[in-house]
Amino acid sequence: MTTKDGRMTFDDIIRALSCTVVVRGTAFETAGIKSLVSSDLMSDVLTTTEEDFIISTSLNSEQVVRTADIVGALGIVLVNGKYPQDAMRRLAEEHGITLLSTPMDAYRVCFTLGCAMESRGRASP
Amino acid sequence: MTTIPISTHDSPPFLLDLIYRMKIKDVMTRNLITARKENSLRDIKLLMKEKAITGVPITEPETRRILGVVSMDDIIRALDGGYIDAPAERHMSRNLIVLDEDMPLQFAISYLDKFRYGRFPVLNKERELVGIITSRDIIVALLVEVNKEVEKLEQKIVNPVPVAGEDIHLEFAVRKLDFENAGKASTEIKKVLKTRNLNPQIVRRIAVASYELEMNQVVHAEGGTISFALQGDRVVITARDLGPGIEDVNKALQEGFSTANEWVRSLGFGAGMGLPNVRRVSDEFSIQSKLGEGTTVKSVIFAAAEL
Repeated sequence: MTTKDGRMTFDDIIRALSCTVVVRGTAFETAGIKSLVSSDLMSDVLTTTEEDFIISTSLNSEQVVRTADIVGALGIVLVNGKYPQDAMRRLAEEHGITLLSTPMDAYRVCFTLGCAMESRGRASP
Repeated sequence: MTTIPISTHDSPPFLLDLIYRMKIKDVMTRNLITARKENSLRDIKLLMKEKAITGVPITEPETRRILGVVSMDDIIRALDGGYIDAPAERHMSRNLIVLDEDMPLQFAISYLDKFRYGRFPVLNKERELVGIITSRDIIVALLVEVNKEVEKLEQKIVNPVPVAGEDIHLEFAVRKLDFENAGKASTEIKKVLKTRNLNPQIVRRIAVASYELEMNQVVHAEGGTISFALQGDRVVITARDLGPGIEDVNKALQEGFSTANEWVRSLGFGAGMGLPNVRRVSDEFSIQSKLGEGTTVKSVIFAAAEL
C-alpha cells in the first residue's frame, strides 16, 4: 500500500501506528509521505525545510494545526493517545489537514515510521 | 562570400528549426530586375552597374518564364571575347539551377554551398519566375529572426514573470496571550499568497516569518500589529508592538535564548527560535527595540514569481 515512488500513504501510517482517524484532510487519499518531523516545540517545526512530511507531537493545541498549515505539513499524528479538543479538530477540518491519534509514544512513532521509511529507501536524516 | 556555413549536424536546435521552418518565399527578393533575350550584353552590363547587382535573369515577359541568367562572369567573358554588343540569348547561362518558392530555406543554403553560384532564381508552382535568392537575403533574414529570439530571451532574463495582480496591503491586530487566535494573521497572509502564482517555498518562508512574529507578539508583547505588504515582487512584513521592548536585542537574536515562561513553553513556544528563524527565512531583516516603548521587526522576502 505504498505510492509508486515508495512514499507512505496515510493508510500505511494508520496501520503502522494503529491510529484513530480524527480528521480526513484534503490530501488523505493522495498524499505520498516522505518524512516525519517529531517535536513538541512548534518553533522547531517552523525551522524545518522538509517537504511532504507529517508532524508527530504530544502537543494538543490549535497551534499545531496552524504550524502544520504554515509549513505545509500533510498531517499531524498526536502521540501518547492524546485526543484533540473540538477547537483543534475544527481548525484541522477548516485547513484540510489530516489529524490522527496514536496510542504509541513519540519514540515508538519515530522508530516505527523510521524503519518503515528506511525499508522503502526513503528515510530522511 | 557565396556560401553560408551552417552545420546541419551540431548547430543549436533553434537555428536548425529556423532554416527548416522558413520558406524560400519568405526570404527571397521579389523586386526583380530582369532583361529580355534581345537586350545586348552591354545594356545588361549598364543595368548591373546602375542597380548594383551581379546577375540578371533573362525572361520572357509574356509567360514570366526564365530563359537564362547573365552573370558578371558572362559580362567579363564578353568583354574579353569582344562580343559585348551581342544579344543576351546567345551567351547567357542556360544551365540553370532553380529553386521552388515553397522549399525550406535549408535548400537554398545547401545549394549555395554545393553549386557556388551567387544567386538562384525562384519559381512558383506554375514555373514562373517569382523571385531571386542570394546569400545576402539569407543572412539578413536569419539575423532578423535570431535577433527576435535573442530579444525574447533577454526579456526573460531581465524581467522575470512579474507577480500577477496588484499590490496588497493587509494589517492585523494581535492581542496579548490570545493563543486561540494566534496565527490567524499568518493564515490569512498565506491564503492571499496562494491566489498568486508564487513559488511554494517562498510562500512558506513568508508564512513562517509572519507566524513567528505574530507568536512573538502574542507571547511577549502588550499587543501589536502585523502588517503585510506585497509590492511588486517584494514582500514586507512589519511587526510593531506597544512594549515592553527587548532588553538585549543581540541576545534575543541568539538561537535558544528565551524569556518565555513555563506556561508559554507548555504551549510549544518560547524555545528561543522565533527571531533567529525569522532572520533565517528573510532576505532582509531589521529590528529596533526600546525598553518601555516597544519593538519593530521588519522582514523582507523577495517573492519572485514561479516561471
